[in-house]
Amino acid sequence: MTNSTIDAQTQQPAVCVNNARKAFGDKVVLHDVSLSIMPGEVVSIIGPSGAGKSTMLRCLTLLDTYDKGEFSYGDIKVTTQGPHGAVYDKQAMKAARMRFGIVFQNYNLFPHYTVMKNICDAPVVVQGRDKAEVEAEARELLKRVDLTEHADKVPCELSGGQQQRVAIARALAMHPDVMYFDEATSALDPKLTADMHRLIREFAASGMAVGIVTHEMGFAREVSDRVCFLIDGTIVEEGTPEEVIEHPKDPRTKAFLAHAQD
Amino acid sequence: MFGMLLEGYVVTLQIFFLTLLGAVPLGVLVALGRLSKSKILSRIVGAYISLMRGTPLMLQMFAVFFAPYYVFGIKTDKSYMFVAVIIAFIINYSAYFGEIYRSGIQSMPRGQYEAAEVLGYSNSQTFFRIILPQVIKRILPAMGNEIVTLVKDTSLAFSIGVAEMFTTGRALVAGQRTMLPFAIAAAIYWVSCMVIEFFLRRAEKKLDYYHD
Ligand SMILES: Nc1ncnc2c1ncn2[C@@H]1O[C@H](COP(=O)(O)OP(=O)(O)OP(=O)(O)O)[C@@H](O)[C@H]1O
Ligand SMILES: [Mg+2]
Repeated sequence: MTNSTIDAQTQQPAVCVNNARKAFGDKVVLHDVSLSIMPGEVVSIIGPSGAGKSTMLRCLTLLDTYDKGEFSYGDIKVTTQGPHGAVYDKQAMKAARMRFGIVFQNYNLFPHYTVMKNICDAPVVVQGRDKAEVEAEARELLKRVDLTEHADKVPCELSGGQQQRVAIARALAMHPDVMYFDEATSALDPKLTADMHRLIREFAASGMAVGIVTHEMGFAREVSDRVCFLIDGTIVEEGTPEEVIEHPKDPRTKAFLAHAQD
Repeated sequence: MFGMLLEGYVVTLQIFFLTLLGAVPLGVLVALGRLSKSKILSRIVGAYISLMRGTPLMLQMFAVFFAPYYVFGIKTDKSYMFVAVIIAFIINYSAYFGEIYRSGIQSMPRGQYEAAEVLGYSNSQTFFRIILPQVIKRILPAMGNEIVTLVKDTSLAFSIGVAEMFTTGRALVAGQRTMLPFAIAAAIYWVSCMVIEFFLRRAEKKLDYYHD
């Protein structure tokens, strides 16, 4: 279906986490989790409530830190292994933030900024790019997510689905290598879900790596190249949607799917 | 009579504007101190706020006025009266403003900080571009109340002998055996507050282009 297996031999992953551990106090939430996403690949992380999906996404987006493990974005090594666990490098974290974008579950748009400013502010202020150039690009992005007429509105004037597309455009304007979605489709109707499917496949086709955290098995099955089951802080099984959703091997995946599908 | 009241009013306005000029920015320091990760600093600022809010402003003014002499043995001249009033007003109002800022900052959802962080904004960019503009909208009504209170509080300056409008009014009433100066003073305070409220409403309207 995709050429990601060929790429895997020739390219390095866009994001790569090796044997990562995360605990809150005594409670270990992620046990030696390894995950990598290749450029052009769409990977979904599925799992029951409390499995550690959000924690994983927070660590991937540097909003939280792994206690242990190696973690890199392309050639940027975000952590190195120290004597007492993972050591984060400040400069590397800063550089890594320019490599990914995230669409939060509740979007977190800036309510006091117009749609246009939401998209253009960070590229201009953070990346120091030319304002006129960024604005021209933002108009293209707005066209792509079907929001052209809404450029001068503020987020509270938009529907939830429209706000999500602003969040997508805001992330895209930073030219990320990796795009993360937290619960990409839980708030969308079937038409918008189909649009989202098309957009995500377009991102992958353009060489972006896409990571999706979701409860929705159906969407994950259709859009993903690879699905990872995260259960109790461990990736118990991963593979193509056909392999792991249709023919799970691990008993924990089977049990989870049995619950999820009825 | 009206002219004398207006002279007093100039002093009232001086107290008002100098207090705002000092307390509006100092309140930011108070809020940041209260929100500081350093427990000691946060406690000290907390105690200061508690003291400022829990004792009368008039007493604080006396404390500032007499402190140089009784604590440090320094003789002060008459010009210190006005300075003492301004110092007392600023430290008092910084505490109130600081608490308003703090509650405004704490009311901001975490998602705003997180969105800014993943987009690569520095801490100061996040504060000045994303947080502060939203906080201003949130605290404007509370600030309005406090500023109107300040207009009326300026009359407390009479207690240590600074001749602002209320002091002048009282002297005129005593001398002329008529309540009229009080009535005029009241009207001037009232109009001043209405002017302030007018500007606050305009500001609130201007920030009304979004809600969250
Ligand atoms: N800040 C925190 N402090 C302490 N424990 C936490 C914290 N954040 C998450 N946890 C715990 O970590 C575990 C994993 O939580 P997480 O939110 O990652 O699960 P999830 O897979 O996203 O679940 P859901 O599908 O319900 O969103 C839970 O047991 C949760 O209680
Ligand atoms: Mg979650």
